[in-house]
Amino acid sequence: MTKSNRRRIASLVRHGLLGLWAVIAFFPIYWMVATSFKPDTQWFAWPPVYFPDPPTLANYLNVWFGAEQYASTQYAISSQKPLVSLGNSAIIATASTVLAVLAGSVIAYGVSRYRILSEARMFQLLMLRMIPPIVVVAPLSLYYSAVGLLDTFTGLILVYFLTSLPYAVWMTKSFIDEVPREIEQAAEILGASRWRTMFEIVLPLIRSGLVATFLFILILTWSEYLLALIITKTQVTTVPIELSKYQGSTEGRVYGRQAALAVGITVPLMIVGLIIRRHLARGFSFGMVRR
Amino acid sequence: MARIELVNLTKTFGPVVAVRDLSCVIEDGEFVVFVGPSGCGKTTTLRMIAGFEDPSAGEVRIDGRVVNDVEPRDRGLGMVFQTHALFPHKNVAQNIEFGLRMKRVPRAERARRVRHVADQVHIAHLLDKMPGQCSGGEAQRVALARTLVTEPSTFLLDEPLSSLDAKLRRELRAECDRLHQALKRTFIYVTHDQEEAMTLADRIVVMRAGAVEQSGSPMQIYSDPVNAFVADFFGSPSMNLVAGEVVPVDGAKRFRSPRFDLPLPPRFAAVAPGRVTLGIRPEHVGVRRGDHGDTALPVRLVEPLGKDTLLYFDDGTPRAFIAVSEGLHLAELAPGAPVALAFDPARLHLFGEDGRRVGGEL
Repeated sequence: MTKSNRRRIASLVRHGLLGLWAVIAFFPIYWMVATSFKPDTQWFAWPPVYFPDPPTLANYLNVWFGAEQYASTQYAISSQKPLVSLGNSAIIATASTVLAVLAGSVIAYGVSRYRILSEARMFQLLMLRMIPPIVVVAPLSLYYSAVGLLDTFTGLILVYFLTSLPYAVWMTKSFIDEVPREIEQAAEILGASRWRTMFEIVLPLIRSGLVATFLFILILTWSEYLLALIITKTQVTTVPIELSKYQGSTEGRVYGRQAALAVGITVPLMIVGLIIRRHLARGFSFGMVRR
Repeated sequence: MARIELVNLTKTFGPVVAVRDLSCVIEDGEFVVFVGPSGCGKTTTLRMIAGFEDPSAGEVRIDGRVVNDVEPRDRGLGMVFQTHALFPHKNVAQNIEFGLRMKRVPRAERARRVRHVADQVHIAHLLDKMPGQCSGGEAQRVALARTLVTEPSTFLLDEPLSSLDAKLRRELRAECDRLHQALKRTFIYVTHDQEEAMTLADRIVVMRAGAVEQSGSPMQIYSDPVNAFVADFFGSPSMNLVAGEVVPVDGAKRFRSPRFDLPLPPRFAAVAPGRVTLGIRPEHVGVRRGDHGDTALPVRLVEPLGKDTLLYFDDGTPRAFIAVSEGLHLAELAPGAPVALAFDPARLHLFGEDGRRVGGEL
């Protein structure tokens, strides 16, 4: 066998395996999308129905808009407010993520440039995040009920902000470390204060890194379940909580409705990801700030 | 107007002493070049003047005022960095304008001054470009403009030309010189390039291992080095240094080594016999074809440079003994042939075992 033939076969095998893996990985996502368009008779059909036949918007209309004509079926869900929880999630996730990235980059700047935390302290900061949330969630809800933060926007934003702060510090620090000191010193000797230097020189330079950090934390907070479950009740529900309500109810699993909801709460993240994808590629392969 | 005094300045990084008890006065309007091999503390010294490093001991004074605790931005200095350190996300005009904006200069005034300074360093055509679109030489001009526009009392330049190619270096060196003449400000320039130091400086401060070895005009440093290190560091090709000894013969002193035996002029009469190093610059070695000289050495290599010819002789050490001869009339000397060499007695240096120069003043 010639060398080029060997290479061609190796490449075929490699791509075949990767393709297979891609199918395995993407199948559940496909299944979610497909199910969301299936009429209720096809949700648990055996043999499985791979393509909704005929595709229907009933799941979406019922879940998202509580459309009454679909509420008459056995699986009707009309008591929830998915749009409201989608709005809640958007507010809470965005606010806590923005706060975390802002505060995180300020702290990271201090660590990177003024050593306000030692290496050991930085590590401890990350370790803090390794504590299983289940450990803190009960005491936290006690405190929260005492100070009236239970079931409030402020309460959830605060706890998400604090739990994602370590990630924000660690990620942004690695980007700030890459910015040559001399660029900052040039700004300093030209008359810029330290804050000015940070906000006008350093942060714009690590823009892509900040965006990558933002998306990473946004995804975490967007899909956080446990804390939201315990410290919110009825006033401030988020989408993961909403999603859980379609499971294990007396009717069994309302797959179609749940899938329609799941698609709806995945799409916003995908849109954000698409909008900032140019930054993501740069952010996750950050290196050269210098020419 | 700025007169900068460094008083017993010391900087340590952990166990490493970067600068050791350095004292030096830089007069207003002077062009001083700190020069030395890498790691000699010259950049650390500059950074202490700028305020980016806090001295471990000693004082930095600007016009008599101790500035140890003054922030870099309040010292009234301007600095040009080796890496240019332009702001990559701002265009050239915004880069230049930055310092003025920090000083709250009105917009119209800023635009006027950016324009003016861009003309001054010939980068007016670059104002709308991003730093990434500029060549190395252009970027350094922008960096220069960015500093110039703030009209600092003193310019600190940290190896500003070391990342450029030879031709650009010469060009920008001339530019620096011209600016210094025109602005009449204090310039403190750090370089490891002795040629830059020689051509630019009013005064050269030679540093080694955190301490000043010698400070003086380029001519003093070149022709009157206080020790073998300074002698060796300056000049290209550098000074010939030959290890040997001083021996008394008939009431006079002679220098002897395996390949050399020559009489020393009377100013060395007081030098104690013993091991020394003889120093003589390549241009002070006379090459005599067939003639008698102080010694004769075989030619190892001939390098015709056009204006001069470099001759490398085998003096029994790995480092060749070099002579410079004007023109090309020796260019076809055959390697291996012994050639007579004569030394200009007025230009001989002797360095003792500790490297310090011994013998009479020149």
